[in-house]
Amino acid sequence: MKLNVNGVEHALESGALTPLLHVLREELGVTSPKAGCQSGGCGACTVLVDGEPRRSCLTPLGAVDGAEVTTIEGIGDAHDLHPVQEAFHTLHAAQCGFCTPGMIVATVALLKRLPQPGRREIERALSGHICRCTGYVKIVEAVEAAAGGSR
Amino acid sequence: MAKQRGRGMAAIEYPTGMNQGGDPSQCWVKLKPDGRVDVLSGTVDLGQGAKTIQTQIVAEVLGVPTDWVTFDNSNTDTSPLCTGSFASRATFMGGNAARIAAERARERVLDIASRLLEVDAADLDIDEGEVFVKGATEKRVGVPDVAAAATWQFGELITGTGAYLKPYANVDPETGRTDRNPHAGISYGACVADVEVDDETGAVAVTKLIQVYDVGRAINPMFVEGQLQGGGIMGLSFGLLESSYPYYPSVEHRGSEFGSYLSASIEGLPEVETVLLENPDVDGPFGAKGVGEMASNGIGPAIVAAIHDAIGIWVTESPITPERVLRALDEKAGGGGEPRRDGKRYVFDESLSVNALATGISFEVNV
Ligand code: FES
Ligand code: FES
Repeated sequence: MKLNVNGVEHALESGALTPLLHVLREELGVTSPKAGCQSGGCGACTVLVDGEPRRSCLTPLGAVDGAEVTTIEGIGDAHDLHPVQEAFHTLHAAQCGFCTPGMIVATVALLKRLPQPGRREIERALSGHICRCTGYVKIVEAVEAAAGGSR
Repeated sequence: MAKQRGRGMAAIEYPTGMNQGGDPSQCWVKLKPDGRVDVLSGTVDLGQGAKTIQTQIVAEVLGVPTDWVTFDNSNTDTSPLCTGSFASRATFMGGNAARIAAERARERVLDIASRLLEVDAADLDIDEGEVFVKGATEKRVGVPDVAAAATWQFGELITGTGAYLKPYANVDPETGRTDRNPHAGISYGACVADVEVDDETGAVAVTKLIQVYDVGRAINPMFVEGQLQGGGIMGLSFGLLESSYPYYPSVEHRGSEFGSYLSASIEGLPEVETVLLENPDVDGPFGAKGVGEMASNGIGPAIVAAIHDAIGIWVTESPITPERVLRALDEKAGGGGEPRRDGKRYVFDESLSVNALATGISFEVNV
């Protein structure tokens, strides 16, 4: 089984039924996708599979063999923030940060599909992502700011 | 049958930290030989911003830029004790410990600087990383040079320790009076909820939340706002969705996953307006009081009042599910008038604390 994770090809040892979440976290040491509920309910494990947001906890490796996986590590880093990360950072849209990697990759995918999302589209795109800390208010502001910045 | 609108309000007061002692915080501030500052503390940052806020407090007291200050809570075993991030106490209690530690370190900086400048320490002040003689600003020495002199010239360490514990108030058994105020740092808040209630389905939507909080001093206004917004939506979630014990006092059927334990999502987020009032508290660091926990306390009651305003019923149990709204409407239509405002009464036996619930002991319930 193979995956391209954040631009790097990997030949993998995990079995076909191993959840992508565990492949990333345990076999590859990519720890930004979080094991929140491991049952599809929180969105903390979200990664991009060929550009689309997917819950990695419910995605068996065999179903994505050969795919391109992007996690927040592949989107930007502390010295070179992606505009969405920049907006989350500046507007304090993350507190404990547990939901943040999922929120950000989902936002990146949303803005790619819909560079100028309305309030409704933002809510739709992020409604499966639970945040216990922020009350979502600053997250909406950050998504709107990132969209504004990419105009 | 239609959607009915209503507005409700609730007010809260909340004492910061625990009263009558029991939750001390300690802090240790020391300068590296190059003037950078280490703050060793046990305060845990859950995302509320304790690290940043205590960094700001220490930088402000010492008169150095915030980026010279490193807040290190990486080892809560070797760092001074902090009893925890709960009861809205981290900024108030941990912040006070940091403030006191920084004040003592500052005295040490001034002491070393006074030897270097040959000026009485009382005539010195520190700003932007430089010690200067008050009123004669050309006579100055940088904090890095002071720290270097302490280390290499005088063989000393510039350091300060701080601890904070609310003093215990003794109660006179005759009169019931205390010899001092048993509370400190009482925060006040008020919130307004606008709701839309569907009197056919019982669904309640909160369309707007206005939250006004007296926070004493907003050391980091953006973080305070984050606390209040987060607490506000958590309160909305407690009010409308969340139930740890759906068949309370039975402990059966606790939600064990997000499919059965609902919490608010981003969908249908109300418009949230947050207002900070600064009414500095005598005991808080720079007047700050705690605001973390109270932010979620008033929203449920405000929603209940708003529902009463909209459709004339009092829902007396939370979460306010569509089913409970419809039952209350039925009761009203059945001529029973408004359900009693006080609703169900649970007789609470102090020996059976909430912890006892988990062991399966059940309460006596009077309906
Ligand atoms: S961990 Fe995958 S959705 Fe919660
Ligand atoms: S920032 Fe803590 S869960 Fe979203």
